[in-house]
Amino acid sequence: MRRCHPAFAVLLSLAGCVADSGEVLVVYTPHGRDLLEDFGERFQEANPGVTVQWLDMGSQEVLDRLRSERANPQADIWWGAPAEIFVQGADDDLLEPFEPDWADGLPADRRDPENRWFGTYLTPEVIAFNSAVVSPQEAPQEWDDVLDPRWRDQVLIREPMASGTMRAIFSSIIYRESEGSGDPEAGYEWLLRLDAQTKEYVLNPTLLYQKLARQEGLVTLWAMPDIETLIATTDYPIDYVIPSQGTPVVIDGIALVRGSRNPEMARAFIEYVGSEEGLILAAEDHFRIPARTDLDPESLPDWLREALPRIREMPVDNDLIRERTPEWMRYWDSNIRRRGEASGYE
Amino acid sequence: MSQGYASIRRAWPLIVVVGVLLWAVLYPHLFVLGESIWIAGEPSLDGYRQFFASRAELEALWGSLWISAGSVLLSALIGVPLAFLFTRFEFPGRALFGALAALPVLLPPLVGVISFLFLYGESGIVTRTIQMALGLESPPWRLVGGGAILLVHAYSMYVYFYLLTAAGLSRLDASAAEAAESLGASRLRIFFRVTLPMLAPALGAASVLVFMTSMASFSAPYIFGGGFRVLTTQIFTSKVNGELTLAMVETVVLASASLLFLGVLRRFERGREFAAVGKGVSAPRRQVTSAWARRVIPTIGVGAVGTLLLPHLTLILVSFVTEGTWTTQLLPSEFTLANYRELFTSAQLWTPIANSLQMASLATAANLVFCFLAAYLIVRRRSPGRGALVFLTMLPWALPGTVIAMALATTFSVNQPWFGRVVLVGTFWILPLAYFVRNIPLVAQAAMASFRQYDFALEEAAHGLGAGWFTTMRRVAAPLVLPGLAAGGLLAFVTALGEFVSSILLYTYRSRPISVEILSQLRAFDFGAAAALGVVLAVLMTLVFALGGRWVRGATLGQRG
Repeated sequence: MRRCHPAFAVLLSLAGCVADSGEVLVVYTPHGRDLLEDFGERFQEANPGVTVQWLDMGSQEVLDRLRSERANPQADIWWGAPAEIFVQGADDDLLEPFEPDWADGLPADRRDPENRWFGTYLTPEVIAFNSAVVSPQEAPQEWDDVLDPRWRDQVLIREPMASGTMRAIFSSIIYRESEGSGDPEAGYEWLLRLDAQTKEYVLNPTLLYQKLARQEGLVTLWAMPDIETLIATTDYPIDYVIPSQGTPVVIDGIALVRGSRNPEMARAFIEYVGSEEGLILAAEDHFRIPARTDLDPESLPDWLREALPRIREMPVDNDLIRERTPEWMRYWDSNIRRRGEASGYE
Repeated sequence: MSQGYASIRRAWPLIVVVGVLLWAVLYPHLFVLGESIWIAGEPSLDGYRQFFASRAELEALWGSLWISAGSVLLSALIGVPLAFLFTRFEFPGRALFGALAALPVLLPPLVGVISFLFLYGESGIVTRTIQMALGLESPPWRLVGGGAILLVHAYSMYVYFYLLTAAGLSRLDASAAEAAESLGASRLRIFFRVTLPMLAPALGAASVLVFMTSMASFSAPYIFGGGFRVLTTQIFTSKVNGELTLAMVETVVLASASLLFLGVLRRFERGREFAAVGKGVSAPRRQVTSAWARRVIPTIGVGAVGTLLLPHLTLILVSFVTEGTWTTQLLPSEFTLANYRELFTSAQLWTPIANSLQMASLATAANLVFCFLAAYLIVRRRSPGRGALVFLTMLPWALPGTVIAMALATTFSVNQPWFGRVVLVGTFWILPLAYFVRNIPLVAQAAMASFRQYDFALEEAAHGLGAGWFTTMRRVAAPLVLPGLAAGGLLAFVTALGEFVSSILLYTYRSRPISVEILSQLRAFDFGAAAALGVVLAVLMTLVFALGGRWVRGATLGQRG
């Protein structure tokens, strides 16, 4: 113990050389590296001296972090989460009101009336399948088709409690089955049947894609932009169907964090993300559907113009869903998860 | 020197230890307890009522308990025989494979679980090989449910038994066994009546570590549970569902169950403490002589270690696979160096590595000093406060990493110096503090096990020769407990280096550690890059372990000479 081993000295000195400099913009976001690097680089080019740093995490985690950092906020921008979660953040007083120039292009239900968050993209949910084994004609065409005996033990579901996407799908289906009344019994029945079909609840999207490609299951329910990205960037044999009778469409948003250390720059970034240029970039390279309705249809990429007419939004009461989802999901976790088979849905 | 001055001087270690425990360990957790009984500004037991009325919650409690008990049993069954094999017998390759058997501790938790999937998952290498060899229609097993969790736990936690038993064996005084032998005791009798009782502190410490780690384990049940309920996954579920009170109640139940186990074990251990009296030397390794044993013993040893190393090999394999090409094939077909090239050319990458090294060093240094003092006080003093000290040093292990992180985040998010609260959230210091708190039990257990085998008569001898307290500590106690303490310290260092559960909640961009970087690679659907980074982390841990181990041995010999 008398002297320090030289190797430790080296390790410690290596550890000492950590430094960052310049003006830094911190973005909390679940949008993934490709999109973020793209936007970060462009924004840095337009604003020399600024470094955009993003922390990649789930949308629920962003909310948790903002809550715990309330006294010492570390983020400037929260980019990406279903509107339901932004509403919670706004209710908790974590967001700073600010109205970007492009906000007028949004319909009223895609923005906060008090200007604390704004919609950026629309995320339709779809039925994805392994295209090496299942042809697009054979694949389930509607939500109810997923309950067909053909897909017994072939359905993979992303762990629903932690996933904004799955929560949106489950709650929309409960709402649909209740025929607008909000009485969840019929929807619970539907989810119980889905549980009987489900082979596995998968931890995260990455593993979900992996398992689908490896034929551990053949069908899953997931977000369209993610599947499009997967098709474009990997060789995985995956394709998808947009249910024609209506599909849940999640509104994704962006917000300025209360207590941002760099509010001017953060506002500029938000302006850029929602600008025509920013939205078209996201649409062309990252398969994001703009939430704004005032863009010139001619400027949209081909894939989007082709897909838009096929997307029929499932009619839901957003306020009711935002209020009741936690209760429904708690019921699902306690009484439906892994109970489908025991309930006689063979 | 006045009497009062001397007693204050002797009391300062106690004041420091108790102060740190109260401030960094107990205080934050009182906030957690408070939130479980404080609903909308009023005290209420509704959270507990909801918990005990729910079938799912009780299922989770039961699941946690039996999984943890099973993990202790299975880990002991793997770890203890391996330790005997590699410390008691001499055969070619012993040193190398003995060292390799400790490797699972160097597999970063998150990455380890992923390589398990690639190996034993439904489309994993081993699974598909067996399926093909036997010509089965469907995979021979599915890696889900309680059995899968047990397997993963045993795989990753036997190391605690292995390392602590090996350390215990090397400290064991051979003269007792020799005496028994000369009195005519059979080998079996010596094993059960002499060796095993003397190993009791080491086995007890390992059981506690494994039980607590299993109770708090989150990634294994989350990934392999497939709906199998344990308390940690319930906490997560409640939290993401926005039910904070229920999450806190579940946390308190989890902590209470763990502490209960600790209490039972302590009671059992009492009166079973053996100090190595006299100046015995540890038993020499037995040359394997009989032709039968010469073949069988190395085969078992090497075979077992080989199996235990498969996840590491898988990790290395995945790090060379071209992204997105490995789907239904048994083994990947396209290989590339791109994952490493990207890693070594990106300047961004070095930041997390440097961060982790720096934070782990700080935390471990604090752990060593603190736990040395704490263990000394606990084992040496027979004062009434001793039970409370043990309780406080073990408390962090009874709480899942997520909870410690949440407790620290709540407590240190406001500036109220008069209440001992300062803003640490969002600063560099919160993570080293979390690592320090989380590793107190690990290092303290190791130090306490060493002190139990340490003969306090030596101290009296030193005092008799005129040595002061500090000199006695430095020249007598420290060198003698150093091997055990350093083993704990090394474990703590590598744990901190790969720590994930609390890091993910507390990191800031500037202090992001390696594990968080690996997670973001995984999120970006980049298994190859994540695996490459995992390999770098594992190599780093191995390096630290090997160098650290050598340094400890050198220091120990130096002190003896």
